[in-house]
Amino acid sequence: MTIMRIIIPRFVMLFFVVFGVAVITFIISHLIPGDPARMIAGDRASAETLMSVRRDLGLDRPVWDQFAIYVSNLLHGDLGTSLRTRRSVAGDIATFLPATMELGAISLILSIVIGIPLGVASAIYKDGPIDQVARTISVCGISMPVFWFALVLVLLFYAKLHILPGSGRIDMGIALPTRITGFFLIDSLLEGRMDAFWSSVRHLILPSAVLAFANLGVITRQIRASMLDVLQEDYIRTARASGLRRRVIIFNHALRNALIPSITLLGLALGDLLYGAVLTETVFAWPGMGTYVVTSIQTLDFPAIMGFTVVASIGYVLINLIVDIAYMFADPQIREIG
Amino acid sequence: MVFAHWKKLGLALLVTSSLTQTAWAASDVLVLSRAEDAPTADPGVEISNSGYTFIYAAYEHLVAYKGATTEVVPELAESWSVDDTNTVWTFKLAQGHKFDDGTPVDAAAVKFSFDRAMKLKAGPSDAFPVLKEVQVVDPGTVKFILSSQFAPFLSTMAVSGAAIINPKVMEHEKDGDMAKAWLAEHTAGSGAYKITSWERNQSVVLDRNEHYAGSTPALKQIVVRTVGEISARRLQLVNGDADIIEQVPVDQAAALKGDPNIVVESNPSLYVNYVYMNNKRPPLDDARVRQAISYAVDYKGIVDGIMQGQAEQMRGAVPDGMWAHDPNGFQYSYDVEKAKALLKEAGKSDIHLTYTFSQADTAWEPVGLALQANLADIGIKLDLQAVADTTKREMAASGNYDLAPGAWTPDFADPYMFMNYWFDPDRMGGPGNRAFYNNPKVAGLVREAASIIDQPKREQLYLEAQKLSTQDAPYLYLMQKNDIFARRAVVKGYVYNPMLIQVYNFATMSKSE
Repeated sequence: MTIMRIIIPRFVMLFFVVFGVAVITFIISHLIPGDPARMIAGDRASAETLMSVRRDLGLDRPVWDQFAIYVSNLLHGDLGTSLRTRRSVAGDIATFLPATMELGAISLILSIVIGIPLGVASAIYKDGPIDQVARTISVCGISMPVFWFALVLVLLFYAKLHILPGSGRIDMGIALPTRITGFFLIDSLLEGRMDAFWSSVRHLILPSAVLAFANLGVITRQIRASMLDVLQEDYIRTARASGLRRRVIIFNHALRNALIPSITLLGLALGDLLYGAVLTETVFAWPGMGTYVVTSIQTLDFPAIMGFTVVASIGYVLINLIVDIAYMFADPQIREIG
Repeated sequence: MVFAHWKKLGLALLVTSSLTQTAWAASDVLVLSRAEDAPTADPGVEISNSGYTFIYAAYEHLVAYKGATTEVVPELAESWSVDDTNTVWTFKLAQGHKFDDGTPVDAAAVKFSFDRAMKLKAGPSDAFPVLKEVQVVDPGTVKFILSSQFAPFLSTMAVSGAAIINPKVMEHEKDGDMAKAWLAEHTAGSGAYKITSWERNQSVVLDRNEHYAGSTPALKQIVVRTVGEISARRLQLVNGDADIIEQVPVDQAAALKGDPNIVVESNPSLYVNYVYMNNKRPPLDDARVRQAISYAVDYKGIVDGIMQGQAEQMRGAVPDGMWAHDPNGFQYSYDVEKAKALLKEAGKSDIHLTYTFSQADTAWEPVGLALQANLADIGIKLDLQAVADTTKREMAASGNYDLAPGAWTPDFADPYMFMNYWFDPDRMGGPGNRAFYNNPKVAGLVREAASIIDQPKREQLYLEAQKLSTQDAPYLYLMQKNDIFARRAVVKGYVYNPMLIQVYNFATMSKSE
């Protein structure tokens, strides 16, 4: 019951958020001086050719007509056609988004699996050697430019040691797994194609390590700080006094409470992953959303830019929703009040 | 025990890695890595060189550039003639050319291809401004009827947009799009290769066209990969995972030169970098001010410093390598005193200008900084304004700028591409005359040169027009750049043609150790 009270208003809100985002993106992208027809027909196209291209793309209509058409298509689930590639924007997003999501998911898992234990350990052994090592890792992760770190890894593991591939999602010569989810790891397993699976795993290692590393620092520091806070609390002292085992105190009592602020952080980290993915995707020639969005912006490909922002805003609303629900499970107080 | 499992897994990963790498050293597969995926491979739509790579590999034209020259020779046409009015061109088609489905190339296909381009009326159609009609005389003969004389007509038959398409593509037409959606990622030509797969932003695979009329190419397959970052492309080349890499900046080219397995191809191109000077806007409406700016620039500093010598200073509008280039033409030199004297003569002081540029060409920003320093020496204050490329194009097209850098390459092999585009007042703004230059005498000369067929006479007219326009200094002529890419030394048989940047003669190339 309480869950529904959170979910339903969010879905109502989702509609307004998407509409608002569509309006704002539309206005901004149409305010930028520049003519997509000139990008498509060529810089030196004659006035007549430009007119013909504009007509073909519907850019000759008044701006508000264009917007009305866009919104009405959007309501029908049609994101339009990319001006540059002439393909459907929904199709383009369906092609590129899973690549980015797969990379993001793996790196998020990596940063959680490593970051949480590391944070806990450095809180327990505060100022000890583990804490010092964890601090160094965090500082490096937070301050090292993603781009540079990515290049260093490529240089080391691909160019010098020859043990990992430096670019792409899968080896050339291995047929792509049949598209079911768009996640190569899942699709190749569903098909039972172990060659494709292992090739995808090997291609994921370096880019996800780069992305995870940046997040790892933040997560470790956050967990460490909240663990230190929690360990000072009265109820921990009470638990200790009542003779509970150290492991039970740390994992059942302290960590559970220390995780609450980190949930928000993970929600934000997902956003950062998308941003970091733009750079990482460039270095690793990862065919994801990052490259697609940047090229679309450069060529003023309105439908592609808007399609992406709409999908991204839906993503953000859903992530926020998940964060809130996760809160409920982690924090009984919210469950009761909510 | 658990540890042993992991060791096994690691070993398995290593083994797969080495296996896949050797598999790709195949000598009949050529891998090319470039910064960005081509927008489309549709001859009727595409205007970027990254798309031409596929169009020239998969389609044939009536005529083709001869080797490394800008002359044309027969390809699908075996001969041609023109009537006395120079407006009716008749082409006889050669026998034996077939599309990739085995259908013979005939006059109807030629008509279809041009009708389609003219109906789509996208960028490529601009190369055929006076094409009135294409007529099928018989299956082996086709006639082009022009509305007026157009001297470069024959060379326009070799451009990407003049590719001959199999009319059967209309089976893929959707909502009256002339098969545009399908042809964006597929090919239907009679060239040596055809596209067999296109994974967006990953790779495009070309396989041999079984019905190709020429001799069977040594390369069975071409893979064009998208790898955005130059460092990554460079590592692929060095490791042998790529045979050719494109978009190699001059500093990277210099670093690659030491490797015996790598050849850096650096060839003089027809790609020029110049700066539009807004002739409509005071004080740039005074030719003396434009001349002063032209004298104030340290050209050698730009060529050696920014381009590391991979360019040469322009001499007039028509670049070296195109006919009607004037090797003895006037060239502005770096002469600060003369520049100051010209400004004084013009009675202009306290000049404040803006240089509007984008990052579309990596040289534009450093060039702007160099100009800023050079112009400061003669008392001109130059502000640098960085904008998005679409914005820059729009500002240049509407004349809303003082100085703006430009890059230009010819679409067809004729000085018309420079002279008539840059100097004809009818083409002011986006189409080409971005300096908004208007000298009726020059306009008369270039128009006359475009209307006659006699090449020596045309050359005289263009030389005269160049002389006059260079004196007026409507543009700041900077440099003619080299086309640079790198290949592995095992790649043999590449022929550079300045009209075909990013286009390769795959059919006659090979890989041999």
